[in-house]
Amino acid sequence: MSLTFSLAHLLGGVILLCGFLQLSQRRLAAMITLYQTEALVLAAAAFWQGYAQGAVDLYFTGLITLALKGVLLPWGLREIVLRFNMVRAVETALPMALSMILGLALIGIAVLVVLPTTASALSLTREDAAIALSVVLLGLLLMIVRRNALAQLIGFLSMENGLVLAAIGMPGMPFVAEFSVALLVLLAFLVVGVFLFRLREHFDTLDLSGLEEIERRGR
Amino acid sequence: MNFALSAIALPLLAALGLGLAGTPRQGALANAGVCAALLALTLGVFWHGGGGLVAADRLAALFGVLTGLAGLTAALVNIGYVTAEAARMPPRRWRLYHALFQIVLGAALLGLYADNAGLLWAALEAGTIAMTLGVSLYRTPRGLEAAWKYFILGGVGIGLALFGTMLVYLAAQPALGPGFAAMSFAALSAHAAAMDGALLTLAFVFILFGYGTKAALVPLHGWLPDAYAEGPAPLTTALSGPLINVALLAILRFRHLMQANAAAGGKAMEPGAFLVTLGLASLFLAAFSFLRRRDARRFFGFSSIEHSGLAVFAFGIGGPAAIFGGILHMALHTLLKSGLFLALIRAASLRGSAAPGQYGFSHLRGLAHASPYTGWLLGGCVFALAGLPPSGLFVSEFIIVSQTIQRAPALSLPLGLGMLLCAVAVLRHVGPLLFARLPQEKPKPAGRAMHLVALHLGLMVLLAFAMPAPLVLLLSQAAEALR
Repeated sequence: MSLTFSLAHLLGGVILLCGFLQLSQRRLAAMITLYQTEALVLAAAAFWQGYAQGAVDLYFTGLITLALKGVLLPWGLREIVLRFNMVRAVETALPMALSMILGLALIGIAVLVVLPTTASALSLTREDAAIALSVVLLGLLLMIVRRNALAQLIGFLSMENGLVLAAIGMPGMPFVAEFSVALLVLLAFLVVGVFLFRLREHFDTLDLSGLEEIERRGR
Repeated sequence: MNFALSAIALPLLAALGLGLAGTPRQGALANAGVCAALLALTLGVFWHGGGGLVAADRLAALFGVLTGLAGLTAALVNIGYVTAEAARMPPRRWRLYHALFQIVLGAALLGLYADNAGLLWAALEAGTIAMTLGVSLYRTPRGLEAAWKYFILGGVGIGLALFGTMLVYLAAQPALGPGFAAMSFAALSAHAAAMDGALLTLAFVFILFGYGTKAALVPLHGWLPDAYAEGPAPLTTALSGPLINVALLAILRFRHLMQANAAAGGKAMEPGAFLVTLGLASLFLAAFSFLRRRDARRFFGFSSIEHSGLAVFAFGIGGPAAIFGGILHMALHTLLKSGLFLALIRAASLRGSAAPGQYGFSHLRGLAHASPYTGWLLGGCVFALAGLPPSGLFVSEFIIVSQTIQRAPALSLPLGLGMLLCAVAVLRHVGPLLFARLPQEKPKPAGRAMHLVALHLGLMVLLAFAMPAPLVLLLSQAAEALR
């Protein structure tokens, strides 16, 4: 095993750990910090893959990940938390322990599904794809178990980190930098959307369990 | 001249101009002008479809023309809509509205013409963002709720689709190696047999759920009825059909890769079971959801879910004839639905206002007296939606049903039941919509834009019952290639 493999796996593992720990956090501030760590490690992983594959556009991916997701987005999220006074604990739809058990099960599924099906692919790509799928599924789970719009948003952001992790692990894949930019546009719209529309004004809180209102009035 | 590239670039450039200047009415007029030019360009794609990343095949060109036609009709009806509703939003937001109108068209065309899985994904992402902004334009609490739902569901779908796209790239590595070729549909299709079948199956699951969100397949349909009902009508209803088509064609193309791999002895699973299940689920969900809908736009939103499900069901049955039926069904449904929604908008504005919330069935009654031309056109569209002859949908549904009986007889029972339930639910509304007598009403003029709805209806019947030979050839070649 060369350094390429072990370091890429280490970075992937840290990202997975951050994604998993988010399930156990009650406070938005802690979730944002974890997200920031995740994004910074992802940037490092992108640089490392760029160096290992000799691909220049991965450096670009790493750079925008570092600048936008590592610095700008967390800052914006913290602003929202402060401005809307959401420092208190977050409501969860499932007990913390149960959601962590579900998270473990999802990681297991991801590994069991990806490793056998990718037997012919390069070994680095295989394990990276398994880790990336785990991060994606954990992000989706986070969106399900939280009722708060911002927490759901962080789940989405975390899922997107998994996608970028998968993309940088694919050997010689075109458009990786373009994909990460396109995803960032989506993220930016989401964050700015929460910020500008001030859902709070209309929903009273950012609690989205009231989303059933449309249903009550009869579609 | 590369018509495909120009057809994509024109709306995107026009969006810039429309977004920066003009009063609402000027914007609407310019918008209609751009759409007319766009329709001409999409026709040109048949002669020169481009090459490289943007290389339209004839099937894509056909759906491009349908997109252009739906865009032009929507833009012409939009002029009356904007004139009547101008006071509801500040001028700056109308500019944004017209820019979004063009971006949605451009994204749909890019998604159709792209010969690259990544570009297709980017196009649907852009379309999703533009559509969400469109849904939220009125800034009403319910509009924002609908937009948030769309954004979250659409975003998750987009994410899953990207993961699927990357897995397809990985699956193509043994056959095509790194680089652009492993993302081009033409190259993938030619080398499908050599792809990694197991990985392709995994990829297809992500693709199906990812693009299935955009195609509003159950269980990922939740955004569609709300989005239809809460946004500015011409944008969120009439232009939604073309985007759904892009997603359905994407599913069809990836399905073909899997089928070809399985047929050549690869390790991929047969994709039929996935598609048939989702298709039937959509059909039945729509059938039972029709019953309690009071808002016409929500009602017809569920009908879009039904017809998406039917097309996907046809793709799942497989074989050239069923795929022919599925593609034909998509094309005819697009023609019909865009006409129907525009007649609906006109009918609602005859009743006072075309703003969201003014589309209750209780509100839209007795239209045959209120404005005979609009009323009869709307009634005709709704009747045609049920799929009884002389509606064009009868032909495509007939092909799908007969293929089902031939290839998977057991499935024809649930299919027939679902279609029957949907048809009954739709037909129930034709009578009250047309004939309920309201006291003392003077007939109002329908407006010239309604001729376009008549054109859509006529085209749909003509294409189904007297299809010109070149079109038959085009569709059967496309179905054969995507078998």
